[in-house]
Amino acid sequence: MLLDPGMNLTLRPMKYPDFYDQYRAAIKNTWTVEEVDLASDLTDLAKFTPQEQHLIHRLVAFFATGDTIVANNLVLNLYQHVNSPEGRLYLSRQLFEEAVHVQFYLTLLDTYLPDPDERAKAFDAVNNIPSIKRKADFCFKWIDEVFDMQELKTGEDRRKFLLNLICFAACIEGLFFYGAFAYVYWLRSRGLLDGLATGTNWVFRDESCHMNFAFSVVDVVRQEEPELFDEQMRQQVTDMLEEAVEAELQFAEDLIGEGMPGMTVKDMKSYLEYAADQRLVRLGMPKKWGSENPFPFMALQDVQELTNFFERRPTAYQVAVEGKVDLDEEF
Amino acid sequence: MTGLATTPSATTTAPQQRGPEPGPAARIAERIRAHAAGLPDVDAEKVIAQIEAGLWPGATETALRERAVEITSSSVASEPTYSKLAARLLAEHIAEETAGEGVTSFTTSIAASRDNGLLADDLVAFVEANAEALDAVVDDAADDRFEYFGLRTVYDRYLLRHPEHRTVLERPQYFMLRVACGLSQSVEEAAELYRLMSALAYLPSSPTLFNSGTRRAQLSSCFLLDSPKDELDSIYERYSQVARLSKYAGGIGIAWSRVRSRGSLIRGTNGHSNGIVPWLRTLDSSVAAVNQGGRRKGAACVYLATWHADIEEFLELRDNTGDVERRTHNLNLANWIPDEFMRRVEADAEWSLFDPKETPELVDLWGDEFDRAYRAAEAAGKARKTIPARELYGRMMRTLAQTGNGWMTFSDTANRTSNQTARKENVIHLSNLCTEILEVTNDSETAVCNLGSVNLAEHCTPEGFDFERLETTVRSAVKFLDRTIDLGFYPTAEAEKANRKWRPVGLGCMGLADVFFKLKLAFDSEEALALSTAIAERIALVAFETSTGLAEQLGAHPNFAETRAAEGVLHIDHYPNARITLTERWDAVRGRIAEHGLRNSLMIAIAPTATIASIAGCAECIEPVVSNVFKRETLSGEFLQVNRHLIAELKERGIWSEQVRQAIVVAEGSVQGIAEIPADLQERYRTAWELPQRALIDLAAARTPFIDQAQSLNLFQASPTIGKLSSMYRYAWQQGLKTTYYLRSRPATRINQTTVSAQPAAVAQPAELEVIPADIACSLENPESCEACQ
Repeated sequence: MLLDPGMNLTLRPMKYPDFYDQYRAAIKNTWTVEEVDLASDLTDLAKFTPQEQHLIHRLVAFFATGDTIVANNLVLNLYQHVNSPEGRLYLSRQLFEEAVHVQFYLTLLDTYLPDPDERAKAFDAVNNIPSIKRKADFCFKWIDEVFDMQELKTGEDRRKFLLNLICFAACIEGLFFYGAFAYVYWLRSRGLLDGLATGTNWVFRDESCHMNFAFSVVDVVRQEEPELFDEQMRQQVTDMLEEAVEAELQFAEDLIGEGMPGMTVKDMKSYLEYAADQRLVRLGMPKKWGSENPFPFMALQDVQELTNFFERRPTAYQVAVEGKVDLDEEF
Repeated sequence: MTGLATTPSATTTAPQQRGPEPGPAARIAERIRAHAAGLPDVDAEKVIAQIEAGLWPGATETALRERAVEITSSSVASEPTYSKLAARLLAEHIAEETAGEGVTSFTTSIAASRDNGLLADDLVAFVEANAEALDAVVDDAADDRFEYFGLRTVYDRYLLRHPEHRTVLERPQYFMLRVACGLSQSVEEAAELYRLMSALAYLPSSPTLFNSGTRRAQLSSCFLLDSPKDELDSIYERYSQVARLSKYAGGIGIAWSRVRSRGSLIRGTNGHSNGIVPWLRTLDSSVAAVNQGGRRKGAACVYLATWHADIEEFLELRDNTGDVERRTHNLNLANWIPDEFMRRVEADAEWSLFDPKETPELVDLWGDEFDRAYRAAEAAGKARKTIPARELYGRMMRTLAQTGNGWMTFSDTANRTSNQTARKENVIHLSNLCTEILEVTNDSETAVCNLGSVNLAEHCTPEGFDFERLETTVRSAVKFLDRTIDLGFYPTAEAEKANRKWRPVGLGCMGLADVFFKLKLAFDSEEALALSTAIAERIALVAFETSTGLAEQLGAHPNFAETRAAEGVLHIDHYPNARITLTERWDAVRGRIAEHGLRNSLMIAIAPTATIASIAGCAECIEPVVSNVFKRETLSGEFLQVNRHLIAELKERGIWSEQVRQAIVVAEGSVQGIAEIPADLQERYRTAWELPQRALIDLAAARTPFIDQAQSLNLFQASPTIGKLSSMYRYAWQQGLKTTYYLRSRPATRINQTTVSAQPAAVAQPAELEVIPADIACSLENPESCEACQ
């Protein structure tokens, strides 16, 4: 079984080809930080109101540390327990992507915050910005739960592992990041910070895949060990999501304050609850909040992009391409 | 309800909350109700409720209106009519903004722009002399023809703005009349062009829309620069030309085939050249530095001949891996390919690469003469390297798949069929930024083209295509395109010189896919091919008739004697199998050309029309739609677009529902395999990804006899392989296409959808996990890419 302790090295026959497909799909979407053009952002930032400045500084401070935490958890907790070579291929790839994200946010911070002291403060956000500290504490709590486990021997161990996995997928990538992306797309809808939005498109695409992978691991475990998914587990997941929504909401209060055009705490609350419901449904559980997505600009992220290359660099190209010259194929 | 009928005074923002007056939220609610009147399937109260839910302290009426625009414009995926409501609200916003600058009519708008130093003196004089007559031409109600995205594009990018306040100084209709006046000699002419534009039946290209009537009336879209000579001064001179041309909103094509390759000896210093890549890096930075008046980024495409010894490094310039010192992320790349190369690919033979310093003659040759010189250079042992032709071809395909770039353009076909290449010294060396222009260049002549496009959708009713109206439009269009040649400001002497001699124009079209939808034709049907070809023939014929008419009136273009037309050879004569239906009229025009010549050496070019198709609210040029629901990303934001034809048909048949909508969004705009949608609709609403690409090439090939320049033909492969691409581009070459444009492909992974309901994963065996929605789309479109689904 997937969570049995050990170091499975057998790729053929492949037990979980879906993991392998996800790995290959991820390879095709390689992007590099150098492709993101942040030049126009500086012009925008110069025009920001103090309120907007505050928001963007807090936001990049969160981004700067968020992906680092995710990468640490991946290496320290997930990799060792997902005992499938194809699954570990995916996680290796994910680790690379997390590194690119960290590099992207590092570049972003260096660009947005010219003052070295401010930069240092932003990177230390988990210690000096309470609204970010609270989110980080939430992450650390779930890291600590499994940190000392060498092997998942008992059902209780596995339950803890699953909660860590679900926490990072549903709450951190699927809620904290989704929340943060909403601010980026909100700014974008007002024609601001195009460079940040471009990089975010790519990060968003990656994060979506990470979350999908984690959920597919959950699906496999549910299939293999259905007894783990009992009422207690469901309750724990719901409580965890509730706690995450609250943590993200106090972050929103810090960022938005009394509200800005098209962005209020009330709408953000509804959006977070909506996203949390989506995670519950994906995990086969009933919705808890029944809220609607109030952000029209998020609807835009669901559909194919069509970019006029005069405007922005199209981002839809695949990296790996296979085959050899043949003049008689169908096309 | 016709038009907006908004009086500025009714909407001017009052100071905050004075006594018992209704607050801004109440006032905006009232406006929404008024604008929604007469719009079927629009729920004004729902919009109002959403606005009230998102109220924030200090919200002004203007800010709330913006919010209303945002809410309504993103509702178009559920109900396209919201686009109209959003457009009306935006029109009201524009009216308010202009009123704040004292602009309430066309002439006050011109006065305001004049006072801010934006307009040319002769335009101002023309308007002042005809003030009353011109004000009477304006039809403010015509704003209601815009869909939201069109109006938004006009507002964000085209309307003249106050230099400091950045507020707009014209309403959309004033803008169109200003553009028309800039190209006109009388009120009648101005009205003629204004009405075409205002009906969205014809639009000049963006540079003309940006600059007509302004102090710097740079009206041309494309500039084609010959390769710099193989010397330092010439290379730096070209950078400077590119910068000047780019500054005024022109797209740049530039060849680089004359510059020596890596390892070539530099006599002056006895060192060795680093090849073309470092030069192109400098070009890359230069292009990025020139921002076209803040309105759009500069853009350029570099053309390299396939025999150039640096071709392999050239093909890697856009890769996102490898040494950043050898990458150019702002440049587009195109291959300038001789037939000999394609023949050797077919024969699986060897291909030789040369240093132009050793073989300077190759750049200026084409056809048999090129073949002879190329083989002679091989025989003389001048090749720097010899590789299997298929190896290089495979790398070209890889570049296309990975970057969309490395466009395939065919030098021999281009030269053989061009009207400009009758004399040996007149050679086409490259195409332009969008691969639709093919014109002669040399060291002292930079080719220029002025573009405009007919909106075919506007010439079509469900009953049929209106060829009569098309003729009228084309006659006006050619007249005004020709006019731009004399009125335009040229950023360089090289450009002016070439343009006055050859007087080429590029009339194109857009909205072809809309025509097929309206007439219920499948994109790859025989009827569609026949209609598309007949439209192309009619446009070409009328353009030739108009141009010879202008020649009769004003004289032929100065270089006419150097053209094939002067020898009695018209573009159609290169195509014995052309589907010609109007033989008598072609014979007649041939006679007139023999007598009067042509005013323009070239007339037809199908440009991509990305921005003006947005304004007109139609499909881009000759393209199929890429999706039935998609978003456009532009410098001013992201916008949702839906296929209105599809939704109208679904509604007609009573099939449109939230469930169907979600199914289409989940499938990323595809309607294939959605059980509720009948087979005939699935057939006709296939997206570009689902159509056989052979059909796109066949349509383009049938149209080619009537395109004396070229067409920006994108090809689509959701998951490209070297095998599929190599077959596809070989076919395109075989069918006589002169150029192709982007290879469009799709990301291998994507963002999770936030606005469609999540699905719980069904429990399944590990080896056959149920695919989640994101995978369904991919497995339907490319079964071979998903191991799990086989």
